Amino acid sequence: MNDAIRYSSPSDAVADETSSQEESDSAALTLRPPANRVQRRAILWWMLQSLVLAVPVLAATIVAYVLWESARPWLVLAVCAAALLLVVGVVLEPLLRYRVHRWETTSSAVYGRSGWLVREWRAAPLSRVQTVDARSGPIEQMLGLATLRVTTASSYGAIDIGGLDRTTAARLADELTEITEQTPGDAT
Amino acid sequence: MIVSDRHEPTSETAGLPAWLRLSPRIIWVDLVISILSLLPALVAVWLFDVDSGGQIWPLIGLAIFGVIGAILDVVRWIFTRFRITPTHVELKTGVVLRRHRFIQRDRIRSVDIEAKLRHRTARMRVINIGAGQQAAAGESALSLDALSVDDALALQTELLTAAMDTDDLDASCEGVAAEQRKQEDASVDEGRHPVARENGEPIRVFARFQPSWFIFNMFNIWAYVLALGLGWGALWLLGTFGIDLYGIVVGLFDWESIGWLGTALVAVGALGAIGLGVNYFTENWKLELARVQGRDGTVLRTRKGLFTTREVNRDENRIRGAQISEPVLWRWMGASDTSVITTGLDVWSMTEPAAILPRGPLRRAREVAGDVLGDSENPFTVDLVGHPMRALLRRLLLAAFVTVAVTAVLVMLAFTAVIPVTVIWAAAALLPVCLLAAIIAYRALGHRLTDRYLITRSGLLNRATTVLQRSAVSTVVISESPLQRLLRLRTVGTMTAAGYGGYDTPDLDREDGLEFALHAAPGILDPFVIQDDTE
Repeated sequence: MNDAIRYSSPSDAVADETSSQEESDSAALTLRPPANRVQRRAILWWMLQSLVLAVPVLAATIVAYVLWESARPWLVLAVCAAALLLVVGVVLEPLLRYRVHRWETTSSAVYGRSGWLVREWRAAPLSRVQTVDARSGPIEQMLGLATLRVTTASSYGAIDIGGLDRTTAARLADELTEITEQTPGDAT
Repeated sequence: MIVSDRHEPTSETAGLPAWLRLSPRIIWVDLVISILSLLPALVAVWLFDVDSGGQIWPLIGLAIFGVIGAILDVVRWIFTRFRITPTHVELKTGVVLRRHRFIQRDRIRSVDIEAKLRHRTARMRVINIGAGQQAAAGESALSLDALSVDDALALQTELLTAAMDTDDLDASCEGVAAEQRKQEDASVDEGRHPVARENGEPIRVFARFQPSWFIFNMFNIWAYVLALGLGWGALWLLGTFGIDLYGIVVGLFDWESIGWLGTALVAVGALGAIGLGVNYFTENWKLELARVQGRDGTVLRTRKGLFTTREVNRDENRIRGAQISEPVLWRWMGASDTSVITTGLDVWSMTEPAAILPRGPLRRAREVAGDVLGDSENPFTVDLVGHPMRALLRRLLLAAFVTVAVTAVLVMLAFTAVIPVTVIWAAAALLPVCLLAAIIAYRALGHRLTDRYLITRSGLLNRATTVLQRSAVSTVVISESPLQRLLRLRTVGTMTAAGYGGYDTPDLDREDGLEFALHAAPGILDPFVIQDDTE
């Protein structure tokens, strides 16, 4: 692995007062975003997911507000919070997610970006991958979407790529499984 | 009594070994336990003539509990069968719901021997077989409770040597391997005991029982729980025999001057600390942490225990690093817990198989952990690189936010007259505590890369220093919360198959973080990094 040398050529080292003492010639490197966007339909998927979660909560708070008179000063807060949750979950979250979620698979690695408030970049080499499968929940099935799940031997190391077209996900699962089967090693 | 019960055929299947029973001594032990559990009730009735209904019932309950437990244990013995085939360990259990469990022998990662007092008095041992379970998923191992000492040792040797044999064999020649193993099993059968003795000699002893460490093990939040239980138990037991402990103790002191609550707290605390101290001795008596030779590679072995003896064997081929964690309340006295990061051991288990030392002084923990990893430069003593001041700023902001949020809730509660207004002042006391916590958490942060290891330290309540092999990292995760993005910070997670499954290095400077992630897991992120001209 030539990682140590490749990224420390002094020519493009920019003096940066915040960089630490350990390897001061760190060039301005950035993590590039993964190549592909998820399907536009995924926005709808995330919206429906939020609806399914947030509508019952809002309904419950409203029912409580109507029935339980003495606690109304408190329940009005709960109703407001549930309404806010619904709006954020249905409008803001799906749009932000669509901007953030991206994915890429190469012949040697899987790379995904996800999240809406907290962004997360995950990468795993195929030599460490244990299982690859495409799965879809009820809403995803309705929209013809699927989630590609790539697991490594670490229980925290799984990479989920949601909002893929179902056929794309199935094809990727097949391709990646084939590559991982050819790669030697016990993946730990 | 049958001396060796492993060769008692119960069913004959063509080519496969016979099903075996657990040791029949279990029945005798259960008989003794039933009698012992009946005893207190009988003594109370006959010798002390206790007949008032209320006091005797718990003793009767104890007797019933003991007898039913023993009967269930005998039923379990009757319906349990196991066998060791060339490829699998099989276990059948259950009366109503029959369970048939298989463990592939080449998946076996650990074979531990354990014995409670009742096992030791009957010369029996429990065997726990761990089989490459997802370490952090908390799956249970297959357990044989119990075999005679000789059978247990023989089985351990057999399973461990076979498991190591197959480790480096190609999966494709499985059939050949099975054949080979059959032959080897036969040869091992003849000379089993000499092999076991030979393998038992330590190559190197890392640590032994340190009586003085009891001081580190006396203080614990559980001390208080334990003490409450003990105190209540003693009070009740003596009450059963008509002794009024309560009255005696009340008569001893001048209670007016001390105050009830203070005394109770001190007494409970002292009792709990003593209980934990005694517990340290019984649990770690004759502790020996040693490297011993397995058939293929070395094994890190722990032996310990006074009443309940335990032996844990950890395959050193599977060790990926080590961790030392320092609990915040006892950091001033240097208390630290030491464990290895390895695959195939259940880290969530109450018995803590990954812990290689009991709680002890930090300096010694570093030495032992460094010795176990075996590098010329001890990774636990290298200086770590601190994190940017913005990481402190983030923690201070979070501390302030927590204080404001709590205050807001208290103010609201006070306005609606749920609590008195004076309680709001409690929020004022919260601020310095939160700020102090922020500073402690910031000072814990540190990271460093060496040739083989990534070293990371963090944690408020448990400052954990983790040393992980860089080659063991299987997934890299970089994450940024909105506040982190604002402060140009990011968290790097290095996920691995061993130990807790993943170790985070929080709040690195954004560029340093990427650098750290690139080198911490060689090659994983390389294809996804570009030179950036815009910044």
